Amino acid sequence: MKPFTYIVPKSLDEAKEAAAQPNTLVKGAGLDIVDRMKERLQTPQNIVNLLPLKADLAGISVEANGDVRIGALTTLTEIENHEAMRDPVFTALVKAASTTGTPQVRNRGTIAGNILQFTRCWYVRSEAFHCLHGGRGPTCLAMTGQNRYHAVMGWSDCVRVHPSNVAPPLLALDAEYSTVIGKETRRRKFSELFPAEPRAENPEHTLQEGEIVTAIHIKKQAANVRTAYAESREKESFDWATTACSVRIAMDGNKIAAADIVLGAVAPVPMPRPKAAAMLIGKEPSKRLFLRVADMAFQGAAPLAHNAFKLPIGKAVVRDALEQATR
Amino acid sequence: MSHPPDHGVSRRSFLKGSAVVGIASTGITAATKAAAGPPVPESFGPGEHEITLLVNGKNKLVKVETRTTLLDALRDRMDLTGAKKICDRGACGGCTVLVDGSPTNSCLMLAMDAVGTELRTVEGLSNGDDAHPLLENFVKCDALQCGFCTPGMVMSSIACLEKRGKPSPDEMRQDLSGNLCRCGTYGRVMEAIGRTANGGNK
Repeated sequence: MKPFTYIVPKSLDEAKEAAAQPNTLVKGAGLDIVDRMKERLQTPQNIVNLLPLKADLAGISVEANGDVRIGALTTLTEIENHEAMRDPVFTALVKAASTTGTPQVRNRGTIAGNILQFTRCWYVRSEAFHCLHGGRGPTCLAMTGQNRYHAVMGWSDCVRVHPSNVAPPLLALDAEYSTVIGKETRRRKFSELFPAEPRAENPEHTLQEGEIVTAIHIKKQAANVRTAYAESREKESFDWATTACSVRIAMDGNKIAAADIVLGAVAPVPMPRPKAAAMLIGKEPSKRLFLRVADMAFQGAAPLAHNAFKLPIGKAVVRDALEQATR
Repeated sequence: MSHPPDHGVSRRSFLKGSAVVGIASTGITAATKAAAGPPVPESFGPGEHEITLLVNGKNKLVKVETRTTLLDALRDRMDLTGAKKICDRGACGGCTVLVDGSPTNSCLMLAMDAVGTELRTVEGLSNGDDAHPLLENFVKCDALQCGFCTPGMVMSSIACLEKRGKPSPDEMRQDLSGNLCRCGTYGRVMEAIGRTANGGNK
């Protein structure tokens, strides 16, 4: 790691001010940042440590109107264990949080950090490779190289995948996120956190320099809402998803009244699949229906030389999530 | 097994220390000076300064840089070489220590971030010949081969026992899933945890 100045803010105002300095990174647990600093992929002059602000920026609360607020610095372990997360609305989020990484990672890793982490593409994460997304070369090396774990849809000039487990469930729940920057406080839909047409030049997220995520908000859901999260991976524990799917389903009697489907680990951003979800509306859950919906979720997929396996597995994962949410 | 000295100078700390003589030992280097206006956040580094870490129940002064990881602070600055540096990227669990009771990859944690937390390392589990029952059961169950993953494995096992009392095999697998053992002694580690949970330490 290159030396840096470590800044300890006593308030969010101090943090904002410090974050606005050039060549400055804001960190929570810093798992991904420390990792990338060791690889010399990040060489910030200043690190603003948000951990002293945990009193304001961590924790889960249910507001008077039933909305749930999750502080940006809430750890994945806290999400796994929190009383408010036992509501079936959060089944997907808890599953995604509790199957991320290892106990060691979940004990420190924060929800905002999980969402904002850098892609795990092995080319861009190694200084030795001159890749486009890293700003070190003219092309995406994964596109024609070792791309078993890369994108099968939604890519143009860079085939990285978005690595967050918790982003798909939050998108499926139509969550919002709050940020602060300068004198402004912003609250936006989760879908705006990711570039609409992710290219190599885009970062993983749309935050501006110096913008700090403070909380995630989930609107109170109807009583008939169920969620599920499923993923494929090569090991039972301690592994990245090769494909992931989160669904939100609202049943009306024995028919599906509302549905959202979001895929993870298959594209440079988490991928909502509205056409596939629309096929569920007004129908009774059935294996045949789910087969067709899963096909639609991967319609237009463009796998690379080594990752076509993601299509059949990803479809099975979609069906698994749908079955769990309608059981 | 004997305790490492609290204030001794090891070969390692001597070599490191000799290179930094002359750097202010007052601790805090005010690196950021705001032009005017609101209060300035505290800032440290990039050079060395002194912090206090609470390790195994004792407050210890240690000189670190802002970029020093907790693992490097423990191993190279405090002579607590139980936690191992294996992958140094949070991918193996060899560096596992307990931070406020929770297993943590000390290689991915800045030492600065550990200020104000309660740290426990494998060294805290024995006092001379008096060892924690889990350690004795690791030996009795032959729960190690090369032994390199063992300090991390032990700390995850301690957390598992403290959290669950009598963990089921599935709970053990879950709690130890962040610790890799290349020799494959997982089954015996689980046996050692099970014996400890059931009070079998003889």
